[in-house]
Amino acid sequence: MSEMVEVVVDDRSYNAEKGSLLIDLLIKEQIKVPYFCYHEALGADGNCRMCMVEIEGQKRPQIACDTFIKEGMEVRSTGENIEKVRTDILELELINHPVDCPVCDQAGECSLQDFYMDYGLNDSKISIPEKVKGLKKVDLGANVMLDQERCVLCARCTRFTDKITHSHELGIIGRGDHARVSTLPGKKLSNPYAMNVVDLCPVGALTSKDFRFKQRVWFLKTVNSVCHGCAKGCNIYIDHNKMKYQDDVIYRFRPRRNDDVNGFFICDEGRLSYKALQEERQKKMILKHKEIFENEALGAFQRLLDIYKMSITVLIDANLYTEEIEAIFDFAKKIGANVHAPLDVYRDEDFHDDMLRSSDRAANSKTIERLKIETALPTKSGLLINFNHPQSFESDALVNFSTHQNRNGDLILPMATYAESSGHICNEDGIDQYCEQALHMNDPVPTVIEWLEKVGS
Amino acid sequence: MKQNITVIPRHGSSFKDKLFLPAIYDGVKVTFKHLFDNVTDINAVDTLEYPEEQPTDITDRYRGLHRLTHRADDTVACVACFMCATACPANCIFIEATEREDGDDEKMPKSFFIDTLECVFCGYCVEACPCDAIRMDTGIFSLTGNSREDFVLNKEQLLANKGAFGEEISCARG
Repeated sequence: MSEMVEVVVDDRSYNAEKGSLLIDLLIKEQIKVPYFCYHEALGADGNCRMCMVEIEGQKRPQIACDTFIKEGMEVRSTGENIEKVRTDILELELINHPVDCPVCDQAGECSLQDFYMDYGLNDSKISIPEKVKGLKKVDLGANVMLDQERCVLCARCTRFTDKITHSHELGIIGRGDHARVSTLPGKKLSNPYAMNVVDLCPVGALTSKDFRFKQRVWFLKTVNSVCHGCAKGCNIYIDHNKMKYQDDVIYRFRPRRNDDVNGFFICDEGRLSYKALQEERQKKMILKHKEIFENEALGAFQRLLDIYKMSITVLIDANLYTEEIEAIFDFAKKIGANVHAPLDVYRDEDFHDDMLRSSDRAANSKTIERLKIETALPTKSGLLINFNHPQSFESDALVNFSTHQNRNGDLILPMATYAESSGHICNEDGIDQYCEQALHMNDPVPTVIEWLEKVGS
Repeated sequence: MKQNITVIPRHGSSFKDKLFLPAIYDGVKVTFKHLFDNVTDINAVDTLEYPEEQPTDITDRYRGLHRLTHRADDTVACVACFMCATACPANCIFIEATEREDGDDEKMPKSFFIDTLECVFCGYCVEACPCDAIRMDTGIFSLTGNSREDFVLNKEQLLANKGAFGEEISCARG
């Protein structure tokens, strides 16, 4: 660990690592500093000039993102001078900006909009006959749309493809007013993490084709959750909204920072997995192709348990929450069933890469291993009770607890997805993480635990 | 910082005010004056024989039924920014946005519904609109229908409503 030194920011002293970036200290201590180009994952670039601070002993204001902390530094982040500098830089930023916030998808979560409210709110001193025009709708590929007019040339997106994915698809071409982000001719943005540039873009230049025009961001409610796409357990925000007279719907997943797990990013497959989660949901209770009510379903389930009580196998999906797996495990012990959770079906070596994606496509296989649940394939049994496991095995009778409509069986019972309930999952590195409940449906389907309580009573 | 503070004197603390009777007398005087006028001359009564007789005093500030304005090329001026839906205190505006293909703007409403049974005719949507795309200057003060669904106006109905005061085209998206 390097030496800690004392620095003074706005008459308060802080301890910081010598030689670290000043902007990191300001961000950590939540001292307001505007910036476009700096990002903790991408490092300093120093092109936007927004993060100006005054440093005692220096003639001119300095950018905080490229200033290293020194012993006894005195920094001023507020005051008339510095506000004026920020206002002027913002004014330059806005010369060619189209200010089409009403049609811009970023409106509501746009840094430029926020900084304008903080430092702008003035009429521009600069008058130009016509703003420089750019292309408004460029499909960069990988669900990313570019609006060249709105771009502030912070180069976060190009640095992402250079430093993080090393795929180098994006670059800034042209000079001066005509500089713009582009791909090579005939090439498209294509890497499994490409949609992260939409989150990185501080303005509305890069927007997601998938989310574009679906909702204004200020309508969305956000909860903290964890992606169930693979065993990595990347932290996400679930943005959902229940519109008037409609049901609760997830509109997007966004990465949530967790330095121990995924850092700042998630893969595109995980990001888009919200669609499959809500499509073709199993909502009805079905007994031999006929829809039934809950008391009939519980009666039928109990009858099946009584008939086959000597030979019951319980299958557990390794994507369920720890609480749910434990409840099923206890239930299976109570009825004297064999418990299986075959994990081979979740292996997908093609999915694996060196960044975030894991070849284990089950979110909670660590818990299956911890509880020492049998992972071998089950042999033929009288009654097979499948708790959403993707495989099916030979049996005389089959009960399926299922989230989606891809199942058959004598008795099919719907169950809540992970977005409709809350619980813990343990990722492949043994980190236990909590997922909040996002959706509150108009007609909620029971969770596994609710089903087991009903069966028990 | 110097603050401009105006001290407003408090009324109602004098003996006359506390007695209430002078104020009641003033009110009753007005009532009886009108009663006397109406009884002596029946034609002076301010009554409109609606619906045979229609009001003629609707001004351009009157908040009537909503309409969506047009552009010069007769397309919808709205860019589906949801400002009206955000400002609406009754939450009675339902918009679905879609891509606009003609290059004028990026976005336009695919569907636009106003539930006039829920609407409180406050005019916030008109205030909020950055494109002068929604107005309440149709002068239409009554809407009739046979079912609840008749009162939910769709995009086509709102575009078909004409402005009653000469301005047809959006001032911001002309």
